[in-house]
Amino acid sequence: MNQGGIDGERRAFIAFALTPSLIVLFAVAVLPAIYLVVTSLTPFQLTAPGSATDFGAPLRNYGLLPGDPRFVNSLAVQAKLSFWGVLFQVLLGMLLALLLNVPSRFVEFARTFFLIPMVLPPIVVAVIWKLIYTPDISPLYYAAQALHFTLPALTSSVDFALTAIIIADTWEWLPFTFLMVLAALQTIPDEYSEAALVDGANRLQIFWYVTLPFITPILVISGMFRLIDSVKAFPLIFLLTSGGPGTVTEVTNYYAYLLAFDTNEIGYSSAVTVVMLLLVAGISLGLVWMGRRREAMA
Amino acid sequence: MSELSARHATPGRLVAISITLLVLLSPFLWLLQMSFKSNDQILQFPPPLIFTPTLENYISLWHSAFSASFVNSLLSASLSTALALLCGVPAAYALSRWAGSGKHGLSFAILVTRMAPPIAFTIPFFLFYRWIGLLDTITGLVLVYTSFNLPLVIWMMQPFFDTVPISLEEAALVDGARTRTVFTKIVLPMVTPGIAATAILCFLYAWNDFFFALILTRTNARTAPVAVVNFMNYEGWEWGKIAAGGSLVMAPVLIFSLAVRRYLVSGLTAGAVKG
Repeated sequence: MNQGGIDGERRAFIAFALTPSLIVLFAVAVLPAIYLVVTSLTPFQLTAPGSATDFGAPLRNYGLLPGDPRFVNSLAVQAKLSFWGVLFQVLLGMLLALLLNVPSRFVEFARTFFLIPMVLPPIVVAVIWKLIYTPDISPLYYAAQALHFTLPALTSSVDFALTAIIIADTWEWLPFTFLMVLAALQTIPDEYSEAALVDGANRLQIFWYVTLPFITPILVISGMFRLIDSVKAFPLIFLLTSGGPGTVTEVTNYYAYLLAFDTNEIGYSSAVTVVMLLLVAGISLGLVWMGRRREAMA
Repeated sequence: MSELSARHATPGRLVAISITLLVLLSPFLWLLQMSFKSNDQILQFPPPLIFTPTLENYISLWHSAFSASFVNSLLSASLSTALALLCGVPAAYALSRWAGSGKHGLSFAILVTRMAPPIAFTIPFFLFYRWIGLLDTITGLVLVYTSFNLPLVIWMMQPFFDTVPISLEEAALVDGARTRTVFTKIVLPMVTPGIAATAILCFLYAWNDFFFALILTRTNARTAPVAVVNFMNYEGWEWGKIAAGGSLVMAPVLIFSLAVRRYLVSGLTAGAVKG
């Protein structure tokens, strides 16, 4: 039998096939992560020689975090942005999916166009909303003017700036939850709702007792995805508000960016980033765990 | 029974769908129409909905530094796609065929790289590039894009390899073919559609990047998304150029994403749920 030889060769090939990826992933993901943690233990500033290797007070940055009002504020801003963004995206995505879940050639054709905001480059999405929020040339302000109604400056107002970001973020990511929910809706057999109809249930009852239980898991999962990715709203904040007015729209991601690349506080910024990374990893782990449990139940 | 069905394309529903689509896409359409307007038409009130389109914005972009940044975007996105495929496709095959215990650990590592906020990579990459002179180079961008494209390739390709029957490979092996030959001659041709879809998604992710390019490039390797933002300068915003630049940046995305519509969800959720 030559079986051992074949197996040996296969094993060698598998190892050979994995090696380049492992080396590259180590270089572009593991090493940077280690470097980030190391930097977070120093008072590193680009302008201060020797500060990159000063490990005299390694936990100093982390100790400063709870007493830093901008950091604490940034977490609260992120929480608000994530909560409202995810809520709107899941609800509106579901409504859109329900609207488009009909067997029709035209609707199938139209579905593709509903995906456009999600695939656009994020900076183009930001440009589009900058356009809409800039009074001089905005169609929104034109419309308000035509109706003899004065709109306040949305992105520079303390009351509206974060809402303006949430609206833009919802526009961008609504297609994602829509796509996920639609896929789930299409797995529901018609017989269920038809049986319920025969039994005299109305539309609302069918939705509540038949459809909703079916799509609840996908609502939760797509919401979790959006929750994790909601820290990546950088281009919108960068272009629309720059974190302002004041720190009203300054999310942790943006604060870390300013610290590192505006005020040169690289060590402290790294510490902020490490904390953010741990939060995201925690949520991701929860997501994997939920996914596994669902698979185990199925 | 279909008369009773809740899933029915009534005229009312079709009208509702059309209106929703129009409302949802109007911000995008507004940018597009603006790119064909002259500066005077852009500032006109009320805005003319019917106008003679002009290509002057696009022509002036063609003659400006924008065209160079467009080439930079093309280069960095294609090269990082090629690098990620070259490393990732064999790795995905290996993971698909390997029943070892390290599989879940590796999948989780891949998950974390996909989920990490970009700033977590930017700080170390910035410091390192500054040290070895890779700031403002295409090579630097390609490497950093590989940090998110390689996990995507491994994640996307694994299910494609899973669908190739192992008996097919075994038959060839028994006939005396080498594993390498089986991989290149039998398995790879069967997953070509998957490779195409994955390549497009990688390209799009790199193409869409703004954050890394903003921080890791200045002038030589500046990409198109950053160049668009540079039209918003202190001397005033050149809205015509911004609109035309934005339209050019989104053109390849719109064309390509239609091609891989079926794989969009798996690409966007790469690295999660199914550990």
